[in-house]
Amino acid sequence: MKKWLMFVVFSALIVTLVACSNDEAGDSDGKVELDFWVFGSTGYDVLVEEYMEEHPDVKINFNEGEMEDMHNNLFTSLSAGSGAPDIAQIEISEITKFMQAQDQFYNLNDYGAEDVEANFLDWKWAQARSVDDSFQIGLPTDIGPTTLFYRTDVMEEAGFPTDPEELAAEIDTWDAYYEAALTIMEKTGKPITDSPEMLFNAIRDQQEQQYFNEDDELIIEDTVKASYDFATKMIQEGLVGKNELWSPEWGNGMAEGSYATMPGSPAWMIANVKGNAPDAGGKWSLTTIPEGAGNWGGSFLTIPKESEHPEEAFEFISWLTSPEIQLRSFHNNGLFPSTPDVYEDEEFLATSDEYFNGAETAKIFAEAAQSVKTVYMGVNYAIVNNELATALMNVAIEGADPQEEWDAAVERINTQLERQ
Amino acid sequence: MEQANKAIHTEPDWTPPGKPNRPNKTRKSFFTEKRKEALSGYLYVSPFFILFMVFGLFPILFSFYLGFQQWNGIGGFGSMEFIGLQNFKWILTDPIFWKSLLNTLIIWVLGTIPQLIIGIILAYALNSVLIKMKTFFRVSIFLPYVTSTVAVAIVFGIIFNSQEFGLINVIFGIFGFDPVSWETSEWGVKIAISTMVFWRWIGYNTIIYLAGLQGIPKELYEAAEIDGATVKQKIQFITIPMIRPIIILTVFTSTIGALQLFTEPMIFLGRGAREEGITVVLYLYREAFSNLAFGPASAAAIILFIIIMILTSINVFVANRIGK
Repeated sequence: MKKWLMFVVFSALIVTLVACSNDEAGDSDGKVELDFWVFGSTGYDVLVEEYMEEHPDVKINFNEGEMEDMHNNLFTSLSAGSGAPDIAQIEISEITKFMQAQDQFYNLNDYGAEDVEANFLDWKWAQARSVDDSFQIGLPTDIGPTTLFYRTDVMEEAGFPTDPEELAAEIDTWDAYYEAALTIMEKTGKPITDSPEMLFNAIRDQQEQQYFNEDDELIIEDTVKASYDFATKMIQEGLVGKNELWSPEWGNGMAEGSYATMPGSPAWMIANVKGNAPDAGGKWSLTTIPEGAGNWGGSFLTIPKESEHPEEAFEFISWLTSPEIQLRSFHNNGLFPSTPDVYEDEEFLATSDEYFNGAETAKIFAEAAQSVKTVYMGVNYAIVNNELATALMNVAIEGADPQEEWDAAVERINTQLERQ
Repeated sequence: MEQANKAIHTEPDWTPPGKPNRPNKTRKSFFTEKRKEALSGYLYVSPFFILFMVFGLFPILFSFYLGFQQWNGIGGFGSMEFIGLQNFKWILTDPIFWKSLLNTLIIWVLGTIPQLIIGIILAYALNSVLIKMKTFFRVSIFLPYVTSTVAVAIVFGIIFNSQEFGLINVIFGIFGFDPVSWETSEWGVKIAISTMVFWRWIGYNTIIYLAGLQGIPKELYEAAEIDGATVKQKIQFITIPMIRPIIILTVFTSTIGALQLFTEPMIFLGRGAREEGITVVLYLYREAFSNLAFGPASAAAIILFIIIMILTSINVFVANRIGK
């Protein structure tokens, strides 16, 4: 009898150990609980506390993770149909992927998204909208309008002005950028940039159409081939370095001053430069990029269908993405606001950065933000991007023939696209 | 006490009409001592089997199933579409798959064969009576195995840096060689990855060989010496045949391990998974988790499974011949 009881106890124990308990506590003490997943250092935890103080009936479980992990976890829980949060931050490079699973998210238009649409930049809003305009998956948070970062010491040595406006007037087209590269190489022996990918991306991001058209057909031959040709021509003439994006050497380069510019750098790159080159204050500055800005990065806040409290969740995210709060996120954590109203705020416009030689960073980024075009990225953007980066690096490091590398990359892209 | 309890509890107060009154018998027959014994046995082993079924068996079967489906994982399980052998066709006609297989085999040869040969030599040296401080050497040769693969890959990534200031390139420079682009050149990548594999696994195999060598009875060598055998003859006719099962074991484990090579190239090559160093598992990882093509990825896994089966059979065949 006792033994039999022991078996029951043991098997019960095993069952509880094995089956991971997935019971959410639910509405404890009558409060609405919202799980909120974010990545990176947004500083939203402070804002969440503040919101909960103002709304005592709402309890928000703040969960901060690494970008890739968070997206993978969200993807897995959506596929499995359980475990998704009430609110999830999604990055622009992932948004089209999740857009494919529209039925797993609430259409924010049903909760009043159209009322707040006017707060945001058109192109940013369109990034989180379905092609037929009927479905809004997320509300915009920060953006990454691109500019030209440059080393004042290298520019001075090469005989260029170091003032942002004067330099922008001098290097106002990509042809002028190429001419400048020749001068810098001649005077200082340094390349104009160390990253083939950044040069290519900077020009690509200015195009109205990039890798796919809205029917998801690959159109790179007509759109970004010219950017590729421009970048590879400069690589072959030895005007561009050979550091891979995000590699340790690329990071070290920021401190060394071994090149002149970082083309296509968005607002969040400031933190990267400062982190990699803490002692280079005053040697960096930034200005408008030739021929119009693009966008690199930025996120959205979405509400997965599993949430039982979409109204409360929407109320929270529309507060968090409102112009006033975005302005505070900019001052606290450098998240560049996606709400153009803020760009008229005087205190905002007066923001300058001593590290960047006192350049009026907010003003320059705000101007860039308003010139970004609406681009359809397509679900398979990352596949194309990855293979083109490989082709560029092969040209840079191995000295491979640009056209052969392009053709090989197109072939690899087509093989992978076929399986989608 | 127990007997008494049972008697009291099992005595029926009331029996439904028409049913035979024998509750005692049915209860007893189910929980006999033998059955209790068996049940407790199953319960004791159940944690492993339950975990294995959830995290081992189910994924294996699911992977076989997915090999015939087209699925990107986004729309839940309902969005799967049966496409027959199309996934296998895609994989088998993809030059990069064959390239990844070739890469894997080259890295296997470069990393495993020297490792096994040097492992036997090291084990022989460690087992010899001439060496002092045996424990110290045994521990130090085994240490690399304890390090995490990711840490190994990161450290070797710095050593095999493509830039001129990378450690190996600096050493090359001293001897007047040109720097090698370890991360992008055809052979540079493979040599770098093989070196990581070699460094991490050499100690493990040495210790296993050492255990094998210590299991050989001294009498055999003594008898051979009396008969006038040379060192070469002793190795050829006593050592090798006696540790043959151990050699087979290490060849098996290193073959399977080498075919599943993933972490080292993943960390060393980064997000690009360049053609020069992509291995089969890295290829199927990229298909599944970068491109969300779970069907072709599963098909590649099934093909890898078949390849491992074939190579293992060849191994058995060859290993059986060693020392005969």
